[in-house]
Amino acid sequence: MELPLLTRADQPGSFVTLSAPDSASAGDTTFCGANVGRAPLRTPDAGEQYRFHFDMTKCIGCKCCVVACNEQNGNPSDIFWRRVGEVEGGVYPHTQRHYLSIGCNHCLEPTCMTGCPVDAYSKDGLTGIVRHSADACIGCQYCTWNCSYGVPQFNAERGVVGKCDMCYGRLENGQHPACVVACPEDAIQIEIVRVEDWQREYREHANSPGMPSADDSISTTRITLPRSLPENLGRVDLGHLQPESPHWPLVFMTVLTQLSVGVFAAVLSMQAFTARANRFAGLVALVIAFSALSASTLHLGRPLYAARALKMWRRSWLSREVLLFTLFAGAATLYALCLWMGISFAIVAGALTVVCGLAGVGASARLYLAPGRPAWNSPLTVFEFFATTSLFGAAGFALLANTDNAIWLVSTCTLFCVLVPCVKFLRFARSSSHQLYGTWQLLSTTLSNRLILRFALLIAGLWAFGVGSAIPARVVALLLFLAAEFLGRYLFFVSVVPTNIASGFLMPEAG
Amino acid sequence: MKFFTWLKRRSGLDIRSVDYQYGQDPVLGFTAERKHADTWVNTTCGYCSVGCGMQLGVKSGRVVSVRGNPQHPVNLGKLCPKGLAEHYAIEAEGRAHYPLLRNNGIHQRVSWDQALDVMVQRFRAIQAKHGRDSVGVISTGQLVTEEFYTLGKLVQLGLGTSHYDGNTTLCMSTAVSGYKRSFGSDGPPGAYEDLERADVIFLIGANIADNHPILCTRLEANAGKTLVVVDPRVTKTAMMADLYLPVKPRSDLALLNAMLRTIIDEQLFDCAYVENHTVGFDDLRKSLEESDLAAAAQITGLEPELIAQCARLYANATAPFIAWTMGVNHSTKGTETVNAINNLALLTGKIGKAGASPFSITGQCNAMGTRETGFTSGLPGYRKFESATDRGEIAQLWNIEEERLPTSRGLAYPDIIEAAVAGNIRGLWILGTNPLVSFPNVDVLKHALGNLDFLVVQDGFHPTPTSELADLVLPAAIWGEKEGTYTNSERRVSKVNAAVEPPGEARSDFHIFLSLAEKLGCKDELFPEWSAPSHAFEEWKRVSAGRLCDYSGMTYDAIEQTGGIQWPFPAGCTEPPSSTRRLYGDGIFSTPDGRAQLIATQWTPFPEQPNADFPLILNTGRTVEHWHTRTKTGAISILQRMAPRAWLEMNPVDAQKLNLKSHDRVDVISPRGRVGGVELRVTEIVGPGQVFLPFHFVETNANQLTQSAFDPISREPNFKQCAVRVEKQTNSTD
Repeated sequence: MELPLLTRADQPGSFVTLSAPDSASAGDTTFCGANVGRAPLRTPDAGEQYRFHFDMTKCIGCKCCVVACNEQNGNPSDIFWRRVGEVEGGVYPHTQRHYLSIGCNHCLEPTCMTGCPVDAYSKDGLTGIVRHSADACIGCQYCTWNCSYGVPQFNAERGVVGKCDMCYGRLENGQHPACVVACPEDAIQIEIVRVEDWQREYREHANSPGMPSADDSISTTRITLPRSLPENLGRVDLGHLQPESPHWPLVFMTVLTQLSVGVFAAVLSMQAFTARANRFAGLVALVIAFSALSASTLHLGRPLYAARALKMWRRSWLSREVLLFTLFAGAATLYALCLWMGISFAIVAGALTVVCGLAGVGASARLYLAPGRPAWNSPLTVFEFFATTSLFGAAGFALLANTDNAIWLVSTCTLFCVLVPCVKFLRFARSSSHQLYGTWQLLSTTLSNRLILRFALLIAGLWAFGVGSAIPARVVALLLFLAAEFLGRYLFFVSVVPTNIASGFLMPEAG
Repeated sequence: MKFFTWLKRRSGLDIRSVDYQYGQDPVLGFTAERKHADTWVNTTCGYCSVGCGMQLGVKSGRVVSVRGNPQHPVNLGKLCPKGLAEHYAIEAEGRAHYPLLRNNGIHQRVSWDQALDVMVQRFRAIQAKHGRDSVGVISTGQLVTEEFYTLGKLVQLGLGTSHYDGNTTLCMSTAVSGYKRSFGSDGPPGAYEDLERADVIFLIGANIADNHPILCTRLEANAGKTLVVVDPRVTKTAMMADLYLPVKPRSDLALLNAMLRTIIDEQLFDCAYVENHTVGFDDLRKSLEESDLAAAAQITGLEPELIAQCARLYANATAPFIAWTMGVNHSTKGTETVNAINNLALLTGKIGKAGASPFSITGQCNAMGTRETGFTSGLPGYRKFESATDRGEIAQLWNIEEERLPTSRGLAYPDIIEAAVAGNIRGLWILGTNPLVSFPNVDVLKHALGNLDFLVVQDGFHPTPTSELADLVLPAAIWGEKEGTYTNSERRVSKVNAAVEPPGEARSDFHIFLSLAEKLGCKDELFPEWSAPSHAFEEWKRVSAGRLCDYSGMTYDAIEQTGGIQWPFPAGCTEPPSSTRRLYGDGIFSTPDGRAQLIATQWTPFPEQPNADFPLILNTGRTVEHWHTRTKTGAISILQRMAPRAWLEMNPVDAQKLNLKSHDRVDVISPRGRVGGVELRVTEIVGPGQVFLPFHFVETNANQLTQSAFDPISREPNFKQCAVRVEKQTNSTD
């Protein structure tokens, strides 16, 4: 569901006084405005907003804006709210090298904001600036996946995300943003744009070599490109492929919730079809569910405030995931309790548990369909998550029922778990998208042994099932499946190649 | 407590909001509060010679922020990324805190008194045994003018050696020699304002977008200009050009001579100017007989007609400006190339006029200061060792016997190193420079330093690759911790001020010199009652009076008020201090007869041509994030983060032949050495047959490869071309 993005403040012009520099910056202490020949900005009218203009024909790639931005915001030296990327094309000596200096694009449809589970983002009614509140943020970093430009950045020192706010406080005080003031070539400016016009024109002016498509979120940064660009003009950072962070708490959380849901489904099936209620299995599944949910909070920069993630369930898939798994945990507690105490109401609680759990897995998968992470951003992710859930369900059922008849079910699910990633990889290997092909490159080189091991574990699990109907063999099989899925989920996280604005040729050193 | 702090942070209770508070500051505007200062100190940037005015924000005895001075005439508030992060240099890791004396191979802390006693005693012992000139001194372009003036007197008259030179010989001595030969004196004739007023601008071997970014602001302000960039590499600056001339490496002189020839052939020169203000026209014309367009086209790789068009563009311009930097200077033909540039200006009479000058953009922040006052390649005030009149003047000003002044210059930097290799220089004092990274063919330098009986390194940082080898390390104050003046490329004298005290026991170079003079027993004679840099400044004003670089009308106050005053500014000058001044606008030069010399030059190929074993031409240079040998910028994390290591640029044609791809780690090998594990960048920035490596990084030291070839006149090294081959990395460089 969409919230109104550009709602004007009640009293236009009441707080942004940009028509004259403030008294403090007049005279010899002026930092912006008159002394650099820059006209004062007026307040946007109704239907207008501020935007950056970046003039690629003027930028010399000096990175003054990057340093000025860090000084302005007091950020650590590994966080750049404004970054300079390089693109190159042509053939010597008709070479063209150009630079892109990009902060936040203050999009018309900010994906950082729509995904945020705690409403830390807001699109300012008067200026259109996308603002972020560190106080509200819980450090879930979902916005860092949702923004295809890689704008929001997690500050580990604080445990929250931060981003360019067009120097909102400076604008408010009649001062131009730090990057605008610092640029020795006047390549960055603030402009006012009519939102309606921009919706019509953005494709022409917001797209540029080295930038992800402006369609994702309707970037408002206007980019002036050189008049003739060589056809092969492209990013110089394409060789930067390296595995992303594994997000271990999320690996545990997603796999274990799926295990728990699968086992509960098996317990429920047992109860429904064989009328055997396995109270130990219920208890184990419950313990797994709670460890999964506890693990997930460790992913947050601010675990103490995890509960805030429920807030934006009407808009954010992350909120929905949290909500559904919370309901799942509640229902599961009830179900496990009923099973333990032999209460007949158990089957209703069981059904509720499984419905909430499956919905949770669905929401969980859906949230990975993030514009900034192309390898995740496909329905195959949903299939993948349900494949894992079904495998655990089938294996759990086979274990509980202790019947050989379940082998066909386990085999089908194993096949499902092999096929879905294979379809995905096939698609990536043939993709012309740098990010999708890059994922394939990582999986087929750096990560290839781990990928092979994952499939081997699945097959070994299936083999263990086939060996015999003894309980220990089935437990071993289940553990092998679990290991395979942990590895698979780890690969899911590390092999994704994010979209981003172009960077420089050298990849920064880790740490 | 630590655990609770950790828990508060990890749980998210504490997000360090106090550290990340914003607020309105009267000077900075709305910024992060941790950048807000109590007081602001005006100063001048300590990196390059653009000479940007800046202000240091001080809070509780620490420099917490920096900003461009909006009132300063050079930069109007702008700074490059190095300048914007310069305050971090002051508290950077690796500052030298205490004098250190090597004892049994280990550096041990000693008192200043002991350190200077040892230094004097050891140098005197060496001189007693091997002669006065067995001690050499290599200084820098990074001290303040007052310090250079003091050091010159101290070395030549106190220490008593004439083998004194600066690292400026690694960058600007070619421009100095070229100016001296053409105009009779050093001194760049133009002003930055010319960049805004010229109608045609030639940049030859000058990548200002990387190396002098704030000058680009001045270029940008000139909408009507035609910008021609001459460089074998498609630099960031080349991208700004209206016309880019991708000359073959070191063919600039052939291009210039063909332009001169065209201008003469097509009668585009200013007959009257040549007649009235120059000598040597006939010799010049004769020397150009073989420099026709066809020959030049062959050498430069440019179309003959294009060269002719460039000549016409220059000659027909109202105000043509030619600027150059290291592409010209770093060459065995450097001085001649500077002379050819000067010839163009002289032939057309386009010199010292608004917008028109042959202009060397200097390297270091105060290379100009040492050129004016330094007592290295000349007597202070652009006086000549060889001139009895000049020596007489100086002797009188200093109240010493004329016989004590040398009658010729001592050894130049590379020759001091050669002399150390030969065992003739036994003691060496290195100040504010890091030759282990910056000197060509560095193995020769290592050999030289290994030969010494005593090596003193005076630097703001320790350890540096050079200070590690020192017998005695003297910790010096750096920029931000001391007072004086810098002169920038356009001869503008700006004030440098101390914002904080130096760390530990570090002292300003000025005070080290005075203490040393006391130990040498010459303080009262050479520096009577001196205690502050202003005392040196006042004497220097008298010494410079009447010279081309006349400071006599300047005062510290006037410099502070205007942001900087261009020399000449003689006492009684009626112009406002802030007006733009140029040299030679009247056509009167610093030669005995007032006429400039047109100088015949001859292009030759660069000394080490590629061959079957070393088929590629290595070009070396810089990147905007770093300064020289990275002593400072390597310790500033934001700059280091943006440019963490070196890379080697190679054309795809060569990469394909060698079966290499981008990000491969490669070794670069020259007849002199091997640089291991450089990250390859396959790119169209360089042409086939050429590779480029930035020299800042000691880890992959380009000067392991460069050769010992020097300009015969200026003694500047030929850093820009040598023959190499590139191989896939054989073993890791851990």
